[in-house]
Amino acid sequence: METAVKRLYEGLFLIDSALAAADWDQVLEMLKKFLNRAGAEIVSMKKWDDRKLAYDIRGKSRGTYILIYFHCDPSRIQGIERDVNLSEQVMRAMILRTDRISQEDMNKPTPAELHPEGSYEENDVSAEGDAPDLSAEENDDLPEEGVFGPE
Amino acid sequence: MAREVPQNKRRKKITITLREQTQCRFCREGKRYIDYKDIESLQKLLTNRGKIFSRKRSGNCAHCQRKVNLAIKRARFMGLLPYTA
Repeated sequence: METAVKRLYEGLFLIDSALAAADWDQVLEMLKKFLNRAGAEIVSMKKWDDRKLAYDIRGKSRGTYILIYFHCDPSRIQGIERDVNLSEQVMRAMILRTDRISQEDMNKPTPAELHPEGSYEENDVSAEGDAPDLSAEENDDLPEEGVFGPE
Repeated sequence: MAREVPQNKRRKKITITLREQTQCRFCREGKRYIDYKDIESLQKLLTNRGKIFSRKRSGNCAHCQRKVNLAIKRARFMGLLPYTA
């Protein structure tokens, strides 16, 4: 059941920041090896961002994301996912079909390019939520109801 | 009788403000795909604790709310958004 059609996929891979900083080339080589084994043609490959994670993954609180667009045979995506999940260096991976994506969207500047000195701090907002804030936030479920007011 | 006149005026104002936003935020922008990597816009649809706002609260249409739900859950898996805070 081999299909001849190759589709465009978008893969986001999460790597430990310390590992990425220590040996960036080796990380890229490893990802290329996974994709080449499945016969994928890489369209673009770049660092998406280096940010603080929303929660610890494998005991790590920071991670580097690598965004790869590639053409691949749909039946061989499973093989890539298996390789990636068995790898100890890749913490998380998400491969999605992106047939309808435009060239502009593909070349859109990544957060790493927009904020070279640490955009991960934006993500820290979630940590500021206190208990009193929550009650205020979740109770005013319908702000527009106040417009009517008591008669 | 004199009381009823200002009430009518008030009601007219309300109908105008409600009619201004007949579409949800994503429909207005004409987005066909909600990207899970676009954390800034997804974060606006979460409480401080990381819960997803209801449709009533966020004002999304059913179609967009489903897409937002999927995008947020993908972002959570990748460690971009919190499951709970």
